[in-house]
Amino acid sequence: MIAVENLRKRYGKTQAVDGLSFTVEPGRVVGFLGPNGAGKTTTLRILLGLVHANSGDATILGKNYSQLERPFCQVGAVLEASGFHPGRKARNHLRVLARAGHAPEKRVDEVLSQVGLEGAAKKRVGGYSLGMRQRLALASALLGDPGVLILDEPANGLDPEGIRWLRDFLRSLAAEGRAVLISSHVLSEVEQTVDEVVIINKGKLVAHGSVEELKRGKDGRVRVASPQAKALEEKLAKAGFVVSKDGDALLVAGATSAQVGEIAAKSSLVLHELSPLATQLEDVFLDLTSEEKK
Amino acid sequence: MIAALSSEWLKLRTTRTLFWLLVALSALMTLIVVAGVIGSQKHSISSAKDQLDLLGIGSLGIFIALIMGLIVSTGEFRHGTITPTLLATPSRTSIVIAKALAGMFFAVALVGLAEGLVALELAIALPAKGVDFAIQGAPAAGFIGRMLIAAALWGALGSGIGIVLRNQIGAVVASFAWLFIAEGLIIAILHSHAINSNAGRFFPFQATGAILSSGTRNPADLLSHAGGMAALGGWMALFTIAAVVLLSRRDVS
Repeated sequence: MIAVENLRKRYGKTQAVDGLSFTVEPGRVVGFLGPNGAGKTTTLRILLGLVHANSGDATILGKNYSQLERPFCQVGAVLEASGFHPGRKARNHLRVLARAGHAPEKRVDEVLSQVGLEGAAKKRVGGYSLGMRQRLALASALLGDPGVLILDEPANGLDPEGIRWLRDFLRSLAAEGRAVLISSHVLSEVEQTVDEVVIINKGKLVAHGSVEELKRGKDGRVRVASPQAKALEEKLAKAGFVVSKDGDALLVAGATSAQVGEIAAKSSLVLHELSPLATQLEDVFLDLTSEEKK
Repeated sequence: MIAALSSEWLKLRTTRTLFWLLVALSALMTLIVVAGVIGSQKHSISSAKDQLDLLGIGSLGIFIALIMGLIVSTGEFRHGTITPTLLATPSRTSIVIAKALAGMFFAVALVGLAEGLVALELAIALPAKGVDFAIQGAPAAGFIGRMLIAAALWGALGSGIGIVLRNQIGAVVASFAWLFIAEGLIIAILHSHAINSNAGRFFPFQATGAILSSGTRNPADLLSHAGGMAALGGWMALFTIAAVVLLSRRDVS
C-alpha cells in the first residue's frame, strides 16, 4: 500500500535519506521512528509529493502521490500543526480543502465531530491551542475519507487525554482497514499504538518489524542490589556479563534473574533486590540508533 | 482546475483581508475625491475631460490590485498553507493558474467597486460645489473598462511575483520599489546613455500609464492602449511562467 524503495534525498552536503526501503500494508499502524534529523519528515514529504527525491521510489497504492486520481480522497496527511490561516474559521479551512480536493462538503461537519471540534468550528484558527490545531489537522486528513493516513508527530501538543484519544482513534482507523504510517518521538505512546515499527537513523533503515519482534531481539537486563555490590559486580563481570551502575544497584545486561541469583548464591553474597527489567521500545530504539552513531 | 479555482475563491472570501483592503481603498478614494473637488476651482473641474481625470483617481486601486495578487500567493507561504494546498491539488501548474485567475477576479471586483464609489462621490460632490456632472457614458465606460483590464493584469502579475518571491513583506517592498524607484531610474539611465530610449515604454508602470492614458500621446513616450495591454500582459505571462517553473522545481519543506 505504501512502498518506499531505495529512496535517496540530499540537501547540499547532508544526505537526508540514504537508500531507505520499507513497506506498509493495509490495516496496519506502523510507527516511523528515528532521532531528530534522521530523515523521517523528508521521507514523508517525498511520499506526499512535496519534496523531490534524488533517486528511488516512494509510492502509495502503486503510484506517486501526484499521479493518484483525487489523491486527497485516497491519502490523508498531517504534517505540521501550522498550515492554517489564523484569520480563517476552522470550518472554512476544511471547506477550502474539501473543494480543492474533491471531497464532499458534508464531510466537513462529520470530521469536525469525529475529532471533537464541532463546538469550536466557527472559531478562527488563530485562537486555537496547539492541541486543537492538531485535531484540526487530523480532521483535514480525514476529509477525503482516505484509505491511507500519513501522520507526522500527530501527538504533538495533545494533553494526556488527547493522546489517549488519538491512540484509540488510530486503532479504530486501522480496524477499518486503513494503512496508517505515524512518525513520533513519543515512543511510549507509539509502543501502545502501532503494530510494527520502522526505525531509521541518518536516513538509513535500522530496523523494521513488530514491536514484540524488536523487543525479543534485544538482550534482557536484570536489576540487582546487594550490600556487597562491588564483590557481586566482579563475579558477574568474571562470568562475562556487562554490568553498569544504576544508583546503588547494578544493571546486568544479557542475563536472566536465575543466572544472576545463582552467581550470587555460589559466592554467598546477600541480595536485597533481583528483578528482570521489562524491555521497552525506547530501549530498543536507543540501542539501535546509538549503535548507528558509533 | 475548476476545483482549485473554486477553492481559491473561497479562501479569499473567508478571511478579512479582502474586506480591509476594500475599506482602505474606499477611504483613500473618498479622501482624494473630496479633497480634489473641494480644493479645485470650479472652472478647473467643469469640463467632461477634467471630470474624467477626477474619475482616474480610481486608478490608485491598481496598486491595491497588485497587493491583492501578492497576498493571494505569499499568504500561502507566510502561513504554511501551501502544504495542505499542494496535498489537495498536487498539480503545481493548476495552483499557479488558479491563483492568477483568483488574483484577476478579485482585483477587478475591488477596483470596480472602488471606481463605482468614486463615480458616486463625484455625482454627489460636484453638484454640491455647483458644478454640473458632465462625465459622459462612452468615454467613462472606455476608461473604466481599460482600468479594469489593467487591474486584472496587475492582480495576476502580483500573484506570479508572490510565488516567485514567496516572502510577503519582501514581495510588497520589492514590487513597490520597482514601481516607484527602479523603473524610473532605469528609464532615466536608458535615456541618458541613449541605449534604447524607447524601451522604457514596455515597463509595467509605463505600460499601465499607456492603458489608462486619454487624449493625445507622444508615441515615443507611451504605447497605445492595446500596446500597453500587450506589454503588461507580457510581464504577467513572464511571471506566471516563472511561478510555474519555480513552484514545480522547489521542495516544499
